[in-house]
Amino acid sequence: MLQQQALDIPAGATELRSAAARRGIGQPLTSALMLAPALLLCGVFIFVPASLAIVGSFFSFGLTSQAWVWNGVGNYAEALADPIFWLALRNNVIIVLGSIVLQVGMGTVLAAILDRGIPSGRTFFRTIIFAPMVISAVAVALIWLIILDPNIGMLNSIVKAIGLTPPSRGWLGDPSVSIWMVLVVAAWQYTGFMMVLILAGLQGIPNDLYEAASIDGARGLTAFWHITLPSIRNVLLVAVLITTIGGFKVFDFIYVLTQGGPANATQVLGTYVYLQAFNLQNMGYANAIAVVLLAIAVVLGWLQLKASRRAS
Amino acid sequence: MSRFRLANIVLYGVLSLWSIFVLLPLLWMVLASFKTRREIFTNPLGLPGTLNFDSFARAWRVGVPQFMINSAIVTVLSVALIVFAAGMAAYVLARAESRWMQAIYLLLVAGFAVPPTAVLVPLFQMVSAAGFLNSHLAIVLPYAAYGIPFTTVLFYAFFLDFPRELEDAARLDGCNQLQVLFLVIVPLSGPAVASAAIFQAVFIWNEFPLALLMLTQPEMKTLPVGILQLQGTYASDWPAVMAGLAVATLPILAVFVFSQKYFVRSLAGLGK
Amino acid sequence: MMRLASNLLRYGLSGATVLALGCGAAHAVDIKMWNLVVEGYPEFIEYAKAEYKKTHPDVNIVYETFPNEAYKTTIQVALTGSAPPDVFFNWAGEDSARLIRDGLALDITEYANKDGGFAKVLSPSWLAAFTYNGKLYGMPTEAVSKYFYYNKAFFAEHNLSLPTDFDGLLKLCRDIRAIDPSMTPWPLGNSERWKLNHVITMLNNRILGSAATADDYALKAPDDKLFTNPGYVEAWQKVLDLKAAGCFQDAPNATSPEASRSMFASEVSPLIYCGTWCVNIFFTEGFKDFAMFRMPPIKGGKGDPNANFLVPQGFQVSSKTQHAAEAVEWMSFLTSDAVAAKFAELTKAIPSNPAQIEKVPDTSEQYRWIVKDVASFSEPVNVLDVLLEASVSNAYLDAGVEVLNGTKTPEQAMEFIRATALAAKKKM
Repeated sequence: MLQQQALDIPAGATELRSAAARRGIGQPLTSALMLAPALLLCGVFIFVPASLAIVGSFFSFGLTSQAWVWNGVGNYAEALADPIFWLALRNNVIIVLGSIVLQVGMGTVLAAILDRGIPSGRTFFRTIIFAPMVISAVAVALIWLIILDPNIGMLNSIVKAIGLTPPSRGWLGDPSVSIWMVLVVAAWQYTGFMMVLILAGLQGIPNDLYEAASIDGARGLTAFWHITLPSIRNVLLVAVLITTIGGFKVFDFIYVLTQGGPANATQVLGTYVYLQAFNLQNMGYANAIAVVLLAIAVVLGWLQLKASRRAS
Repeated sequence: MSRFRLANIVLYGVLSLWSIFVLLPLLWMVLASFKTRREIFTNPLGLPGTLNFDSFARAWRVGVPQFMINSAIVTVLSVALIVFAAGMAAYVLARAESRWMQAIYLLLVAGFAVPPTAVLVPLFQMVSAAGFLNSHLAIVLPYAAYGIPFTTVLFYAFFLDFPRELEDAARLDGCNQLQVLFLVIVPLSGPAVASAAIFQAVFIWNEFPLALLMLTQPEMKTLPVGILQLQGTYASDWPAVMAGLAVATLPILAVFVFSQKYFVRSLAGLGK
Repeated sequence: MMRLASNLLRYGLSGATVLALGCGAAHAVDIKMWNLVVEGYPEFIEYAKAEYKKTHPDVNIVYETFPNEAYKTTIQVALTGSAPPDVFFNWAGEDSARLIRDGLALDITEYANKDGGFAKVLSPSWLAAFTYNGKLYGMPTEAVSKYFYYNKAFFAEHNLSLPTDFDGLLKLCRDIRAIDPSMTPWPLGNSERWKLNHVITMLNNRILGSAATADDYALKAPDDKLFTNPGYVEAWQKVLDLKAAGCFQDAPNATSPEASRSMFASEVSPLIYCGTWCVNIFFTEGFKDFAMFRMPPIKGGKGDPNANFLVPQGFQVSSKTQHAAEAVEWMSFLTSDAVAAKFAELTKAIPSNPAQIEKVPDTSEQYRWIVKDVASFSEPVNVLDVLLEASVSNAYLDAGVEVLNGTKTPEQAMEFIRATALAAKKKM
């Protein structure tokens, strides 16, 4: 359509066109100027702090202390020997895996239902299910704090009404339950996001495929398994990678819900960096943990980039 | 025939169950904001006795309006900066062919992988040393920086698909790159810009860790940090906390409901 | 002629001096002051500001408050930054000591000893709270203590008597549970970890006494003795005894301190161990019919039974301030006789300057009782999460959570704390 609106380009102008194009790109000064703001901002606020964190990880110093003391790989050695570091890493992995199952899994199911499963009401349900995404994680955590409250919380009442007993130490006070509650709260907020993402992919699948399969007798669940899923393989991959990166970056929920407690049961790398830096005054060590987090995130980001480029 | 209806019921049922799961906490929040303190403790699940708006007044007094204004200023400035910087960068990169440019693109995208919490400490020290803690700038510039990688990817994909004929025609007329971008492409990129802007706006509106550290003065706080303060100030005053949360959440929900088309579009772009 | 000239010269010189020193009325000074969110303080500060303006029209006080948990982080972050507050709240103990060691808190000995300075008004024992190496680094405004609060009507109705020792406390819990099994006798809001920490502070002191704990807390004890006293384990065991007697609700680690206070104020529970700051909170929530008693002594304990929880707190001055003299002048005004009565009346805190207590109108009987009782403490007990080195304090806080959850036994808790203390000691 845009091409129809374009100016009438006479034939034979093709050569002129490509020459012009080549000339256009060869304006290095303009290009540089146009790239500058982005590179400058990212350089100063992303890459410089990242480098500082890497450098700082080789020293020991506190937030308020005046001097940086060289520590070599001491901080990293400490991390390897630190049970809470491994606990935090384990919790991140649990959150990542759990989120993939809950958010991507349930998101796919909901998206599939919205796509071809129901005749009407698509926008209505989509709006409701996606809505939590626009609420701040802090607000989400605060609301859920009360819902999970052992004395006045809604969840306890519902569970008792069904006839089960809620955990005696509280949903967030019981170390074996608290991490799963974090997953529930995260799923509450993010499943809608995954659903919409996958729905967009589903809506790109041409109807002919389904019709052809239907003629062969495959519909409903079979069609879903053999046609739908393979067609959105790339979208699913991107969804999984976004969830994975998010699972490693998580901070807000945990900070507000449990502060990493009870006794580090929900500690994750993001909150552990915060604890070490600001509560325990071990900035160098905090930087080392942050560098680990950084390395993981960069690898995952690179994987996502490869995946999305392959998809396009 | 009945098998069809059964399947329908099951599917609607699943959707409805999840929707109820989503709505219940929000409903509780709104109901609780009308209750009194005692009612919350003695009758947590029931309806409030009377509709009293005191809690809203109390929450309002803590500074929710000021927090919202701060969030609005920060969001608008950051998003403008992001769209501007990422738009220009993405355009150059999408039209470039050299290996250097590809490397730069990869570098920018690598920025997406850096979690702000990992570099919170050095970032804070930098801003503090530069002397503009507790200013809007302290937060707008980092937000812009962290929003550029994702937005660049979005625009990059969009520009790659953008037909070149129009640009070539413009260039034949003598426009340079900058003019081509702003006079020809941008006017036609409405949906992409809108989607990118909205997505970033939501993310920035809700950002928490950076704002928590950089903005400690009450009059500078953004909404998420302000909400947390609400919980400290009125610690046991749950109705006021819920009222504050309601006031904080409902506007953005309303904006979303009205602009969800663009929202969904920007996410569809992610799948590419 | 000469007279006129010399007069002109004199006035001219003094005028120039005045201008040079910047003492003109147009020279306004902004003092930024940070405090926690405390009931009654904002009103007191408003009053003090108004009074202060009468004698110091060019000083403008900017008062900002922060919630408790976030404050500890934000104040450090601000002090290392470029725009720290001039005057800021801090607890006496490790929190203020660390800032002093790192050079972020100003030595205000000189200013405090000027005319009108607080060192001339407050007693040496109060000043000791913020004295390090013989110098003054802060001004104590008040101290907080902790008591058991009980619902008078409930106790009277069921003929419950106040416990005289720890076993009596256990019996009290059992009796309350017998009256109503679904009622929590003593709600413990430990979601922020410090509620139990306050209890353990007192238990440690009751069992071991100050002398036995001093070296351990300061990490000065020799390595093979650090935190090895079996009394520490006994203190944790006492917590489990309380739990076994049914004192607490099921999920103390998931209950916020605010929620536990609300449970007492809503009369859902008849007992709570709470700070002296809670009097105001209960009044605000509409509950007034309560009285207090101290943490009872423990039979066979080596601690002084008349020692009690007392944590001085006050204000320090940032070493980066541009207005040190004005800052200390303002601070001194806050504890001066002129406003002492209003301070006690509005904040209902235990003031460092008790001079005007008798003149305070409309004090509640609870407040008068507390002030009298605090004056009779034999020695103050400072709280662990303010006193201990950061990682050891964190270990004690986490140990409390785990003992309550049953994931660590008292012995394991002390092993964990001892290991953390040894590691911290090595770093010192």
